[in-house]
Amino acid sequence: MDFFASQDVARRNTRRLVVLFALAVVFIVVAVNIAAGLIFQGASAKLDLDTGQGHFNPQLAIAVTVATLAVILIGSLYKIASLREGGAAVARLMGGRPVDPNTDDPNERRLLNVVEEMAIASGAPVPEVFVLDEEKAINAFAAGNTSVDAIVAVSAGCLEQLTRDELQGVIAHEFSHIINGDMRLNLRLMGILHGILVIALIGSWVLYSMRFSGGIRRGGKKEGGGLGMAILLFALALLVVGWIGVFFGRLIKSGVSRQREYLADSSGVQFTRNPLGLAGALKRIGGFVRGSKLESKNAEQASHLFFCNGLRKNMSGFLATHPPLTERIRRLDPHWDGELPQIDEAAAAGRAEVSAAGLAPLAPLAAPAAPSGQRTSARRLDPRRIVERIGDPSEQHLAYSARLLAALPQSLKRRVHEPLAARAVVFGLLLDPSPEVRRRQLQYLRASTDGVTYSETLAVLPLLEASPAAARLPLIDLTVPALRTLSPRQYAEFQTDVEALIAADDRISLFEFALQHILIRHLEPRFGRPPQASIRHHRLERLEEECAVLLSALAYAGASDDSEAQEAFSEGSRRLGRPLELRSREQAALSAVDQALRELAGSAPLLKAKILEAAVATVIADREITFAEGELLRAIADALDCPMPPFLPGQEIAA
Amino acid sequence: MTLLVTLGFFVALIVVVIAIVAGIYNRLVRLRNRFKNAFAQIDVQLKRRYDLIPNLVETAKGYMKHERETLDAVIQARNQASSAASAAASNPGDPEAMQSLMGAETALTGTLGRLFALAEAYPDLKANQNMSQLMEELTSTENKVGFSRQAYNDAVTSYNTACQTFPNVLLAGTFGFKQANLFEIEEPEERETVKVSFT
Repeated sequence: MDFFASQDVARRNTRRLVVLFALAVVFIVVAVNIAAGLIFQGASAKLDLDTGQGHFNPQLAIAVTVATLAVILIGSLYKIASLREGGAAVARLMGGRPVDPNTDDPNERRLLNVVEEMAIASGAPVPEVFVLDEEKAINAFAAGNTSVDAIVAVSAGCLEQLTRDELQGVIAHEFSHIINGDMRLNLRLMGILHGILVIALIGSWVLYSMRFSGGIRRGGKKEGGGLGMAILLFALALLVVGWIGVFFGRLIKSGVSRQREYLADSSGVQFTRNPLGLAGALKRIGGFVRGSKLESKNAEQASHLFFCNGLRKNMSGFLATHPPLTERIRRLDPHWDGELPQIDEAAAAGRAEVSAAGLAPLAPLAAPAAPSGQRTSARRLDPRRIVERIGDPSEQHLAYSARLLAALPQSLKRRVHEPLAARAVVFGLLLDPSPEVRRRQLQYLRASTDGVTYSETLAVLPLLEASPAAARLPLIDLTVPALRTLSPRQYAEFQTDVEALIAADDRISLFEFALQHILIRHLEPRFGRPPQASIRHHRLERLEEECAVLLSALAYAGASDDSEAQEAFSEGSRRLGRPLELRSREQAALSAVDQALRELAGSAPLLKAKILEAAVATVIADREITFAEGELLRAIADALDCPMPPFLPGQEIAA
Repeated sequence: MTLLVTLGFFVALIVVVIAIVAGIYNRLVRLRNRFKNAFAQIDVQLKRRYDLIPNLVETAKGYMKHERETLDAVIQARNQASSAASAAASNPGDPEAMQSLMGAETALTGTLGRLFALAEAYPDLKANQNMSQLMEELTSTENKVGFSRQAYNDAVTSYNTACQTFPNVLLAGTFGFKQANLFEIEEPEERETVKVSFT
């Protein structure tokens, strides 16, 4: 199933779940009413044995119903609000610590390298990486509303015990979740289900506080004692009712997540073409005495997010949030003999040392480093094929990404991980080739930033010259984790500097546009408003203006004169299936494109697919994709939250 | 009837208040985590700095045979700063830990300054490639420490402000949110070139 269709399916699943959730709420309200009725009327009410009817008090029923609904609603809304920030909120909930991009710890460094490789290969932004220090078991999860606020969290057990291949398998699985849009649904689930769980929480809280005041009460008046007893019983009842909530919660979660886990396994394998890596990790979980069981008290809330079952009770059948471990292993490794490695705590501790030493460098591939200035051309280019690549990276992309990263000078890679130098790298990339403009830009840097930044920028220039040209945009992706650690004030200054450097030549080039867009979009969740995940447009008619602006800009970008632009534009318009008119150059200025992209970002997944196909059609109307056009296409795909893998040099994209 | 309905709404009100209080608590936790993470970044750079120094001293020893005192002072200051940094890393923002770290760092910068000033009088040492590389890396690391310090101080300021504003100030004390300390280093004395006189 392709990227866009699976996003659509995820949305439809939500509707089914809402129905189940409503059912659960009804059950709970009824149960709480029965509990309240029995307990608070206990003394006075008598079950009329003749008619078999209980003493029904409508006023009590209304009050209890209203209170229960209010609690559930507020519980859900509160959780949804606290998760609005995105994946980082979940990571914190589970006790995660963000991994410093600058880390010296070899295990963490290895983890970050694996994540970076995958991000570049899949075209997704580099997610923030967290480590769950307190969890010695082997487990991981990905969470977020969109790919820009997504995070990947890995348990300490993963870091210490898995080999690089196994780690890569687990991370590939998590990236599939990010790419396929599972996370948004999962996050929404967490929010909604919290309302149901809150009742159990209230029950246990009341019981806890009653334990202290209960002793004092005993000597009190009969009435007072009776009330205390009633409250105690009510709290117990709430606890029981709360368990109904948990039961329904697990039912709902399992309905969604089980199938997705198989899907994520297979997507991950498609990505790495190394099923034994992921299978190895699963086998290790099977054999390890701790397995994948989590210690955190919040594990229940997020149980459906995890790589493997993290709860103590291994529910089977329709309540299980994950498919059985052995089944998962068998699907990945059909020749498995059923043996699991026996790993106890001592062996696990020993592994931690071995793992650190075994930082296997990537095997250099026979092919030379990525050539610069390459063009992707083919006899018969098909936009549909290109768009199909989205969300579907293959092991070729992974190999290309590894090669690209290996071709970067070591000191450059060190710099992108460090906030001060990362800014210098961005400034270096923005320096114009023309000496006059460059002089002006450097003058600005010398005046507005401190001397250190200026000299770092100068130091970065030769390193950039030594890197392949194809690495320009990926380098921006790599700087994002370090830039996330800036303080808001430092970020504001950085933004001003970037804008000033771009404005130095009074025009915005395609690369500058792509750079600014990607940078701001990836950093916005951390410094500005969390991104809107909602879908505002379902029909293409409302978006005609925006599409026209976008396609016009693309047409002008790749064309040498207006007639070529018109041809390219017509191709795109035809692909879109709507009669659009080419806009003038002023109307299709990059600032207008910016606006248009914001609007288009809120369209339904299937619409986005069409828009991207039209965009690609416009670009390939002249039978080849130049470098600049490729970068622009990736920026556009990124703006629409569609991870587009890099164009492989010399790639045949023929039908 | 009204009594029970009132009871129902009362419960809802309590839940809302709890939600608001929880929201405030979560925000303070988030800000506190932010400055703790910001400190972790300073810590990485500080560790790099401390790791460079023994190598530097070893290289200098070969040339500055008669400057035992200064070299020992550098090593001692470095060890002290290193342990102060570890203490602060386990409790970032804590006034005592931060004060001792700031003091130790200032002392270290002072002794290093004396060492560099002395080194001016040893042209062979200055010509040594290893030495100049180490000095450059040291300077670069110090710059990075300075930059991360800015971010840390910004984060501490937002946290402190959040603790002090209304209505958070009512709850901060109860929940155990204390004011955090900024990380400020006094400007090191100018590294003047020492004019060696043989009279």
